[in-house]
Amino acid sequence: MSPFAAKTEYKREEASTDLDALLKDISEGSQDALAQLYRYTRSSVYSFALSILKNTHDAEDVLHDCYVSVWHGAAGYRSQGKPLAWMMTITRNLCLQRIRERRKTADIPQEEWTLHLPDDGRLTMEEKCVLSACLEKLSAQERQIVTLFAVSGFKHREIATLLELPLSTVLSKYHRAIKRLKQHLQ
Amino acid sequence: MTEHEIHEKIRQAYDHATPEVWDAVLSDCKAQKGRVFVMATTKKRKTWVKPLASIAACLCLVVGTIVGSQNYQVNHTVDATVSLDVNPSIEIQVNQKERVLAVIPLNEDGKIIAGDMDFSGSDLDVAVHAIIGSMLQNGYLNELTNSILISVDNNDPLRGAALQERLTAEVNRLLQTDTFSGSVLSQTVDRSDDLRQLAENYGITMGKAQLIQAILAGNELHTFEDLVPLSIHELNLLLSTKPAAATQVEVVGTASDKAYIGETKAKEIAMEKAGISAGDLSAFEIELDTDNGILVYDLEFTSGGYEYDCEIDARTGTVVKFEKEYHGAPANSTSNSSSSSISNSSSTSTSTSNATSDSTSYPTQSNNTSGLNQITAEKAKQIALNHAGVTSGDVSGFKSELDTDDGVRIYELEFRAGGYEYDYEINATTGAVLKSKKEVDD
Repeated sequence: MSPFAAKTEYKREEASTDLDALLKDISEGSQDALAQLYRYTRSSVYSFALSILKNTHDAEDVLHDCYVSVWHGAAGYRSQGKPLAWMMTITRNLCLQRIRERRKTADIPQEEWTLHLPDDGRLTMEEKCVLSACLEKLSAQERQIVTLFAVSGFKHREIATLLELPLSTVLSKYHRAIKRLKQHLQ
Repeated sequence: MTEHEIHEKIRQAYDHATPEVWDAVLSDCKAQKGRVFVMATTKKRKTWVKPLASIAACLCLVVGTIVGSQNYQVNHTVDATVSLDVNPSIEIQVNQKERVLAVIPLNEDGKIIAGDMDFSGSDLDVAVHAIIGSMLQNGYLNELTNSILISVDNNDPLRGAALQERLTAEVNRLLQTDTFSGSVLSQTVDRSDDLRQLAENYGITMGKAQLIQAILAGNELHTFEDLVPLSIHELNLLLSTKPAAATQVEVVGTASDKAYIGETKAKEIAMEKAGISAGDLSAFEIELDTDNGILVYDLEFTSGGYEYDCEIDARTGTVVKFEKEYHGAPANSTSNSSSSSISNSSSTSTSTSNATSDSTSYPTQSNNTSGLNQITAEKAKQIALNHAGVTSGDVSGFKSELDTDDGVRIYELEFRAGGYEYDYEINATTGAVLKSKKEVDD
């Protein structure tokens, strides 16, 4: 397991302040701060990217590009107490950019994503099951809502803002998705 | 399985599935900030490459010069220019791959925004993110001033339009903040020498020059000079009062009017200044306009036989201009002191229409001239035309109005002839020319 995988159980509010402080340090050129930010947020970025792209290779590239963008763009970040939402916006933009590029070079077929799941013992069978359920049983939007909620800890209201959807839509999609996952995983 | 357990499983699964990219991130996050770091990773070379290297090198020399120069072209030639105007104006030049070649602040505020950020080689999106962020941070975009203009200049109109659309969506998203939503104006710039000249003359961006032209189109109220001092936000407010004409400017979101007093308040101020109550007025019109580089509410209304024209500073509520003209007896009042001479019933029905019609026959003239020794409107017109040295046939847009100025009855005349606009005041009793004004008709 990577040294960064020790995901912390931190409270969202504290985390926001932390991330704000980290972004400030990053804007001043601190790579240590970038490393910490990476450690705290990488699974949020990756899961959101994977939800949109449904392709582990592309999601991995976006994960990389996201932190490079943050490094260069941190100076322009303005704290609104929503550092993670800011990063999610960057992530989504990078994903959309990738989708556009993919359309341009339409020669790469949409490969079965499961083939690319890491097979180096990082994932247990059950974890693979959960991931494949998320990617196969849920629509792209449902998947984004579920991962933003479960992995990144966003509230439904924040997800609605982020995805530009009505709150009622987010709620109903979320409940439907969780119900379906529950059925599938039991 | 509880919902919480499902969350936990999902979280763990994604957590463990997230690949490790830190080394690659680190190696890409140094040069720009001028720091020296030891490269963490080096790419492995395949061994069989070596023997081929010399052959490859020869080939490279030949092919390289050709491809290389083409690549250089692609990488270093400005393919598109994007300018962002708020009040800070910033121009971003990008190559065909939408990599930033240069970020150029076009005014002092722009320099504050750009600071010492170096975007060379970074993605256009990254630069735009950072610039918008900086504009927010420095308070140029806020609840009161929420407008931004994006102008895209690309030799290929299709690519330009696509870029415009993408950036608009992007910036709009960035401006959906907790306290306010942005209003994003966007356009592709029609590169022409005229526009460039105009922009240079007034020291503004071509984007802003084009926006002003769009507002001026089909609108004779303003001149280009009037609008130059206005900020993009103020121009946006003006634009929003016009019917969406066939302009190229696309608008997403609404310009905030929170910094302005609003039409209702403006009306109240005008009523108070005129000393009348809202129930007494008719033919009320209000419009956002400019006067000497500030935004004003222009109000027109009639009350008690008077026509009022009033301009109120849209920001401060100060009365900038206040004009009161006698316009004929009101339908529901009897004669009063200043209008006794013309207070007969025949004058009331037509009095309001005279102001804008070409009519030269005044209700007053036939009935009252003898008693008052007053010249006719026709006579007044003749005096003005003689004074201006034009003939009746040359004249268009003729308007005349009987008015009282400081107790003196006067005819106010306006007309156009030979490319000029004329403005006259003729003493209605003596026929003397009290005022004459000649302006180039624009």
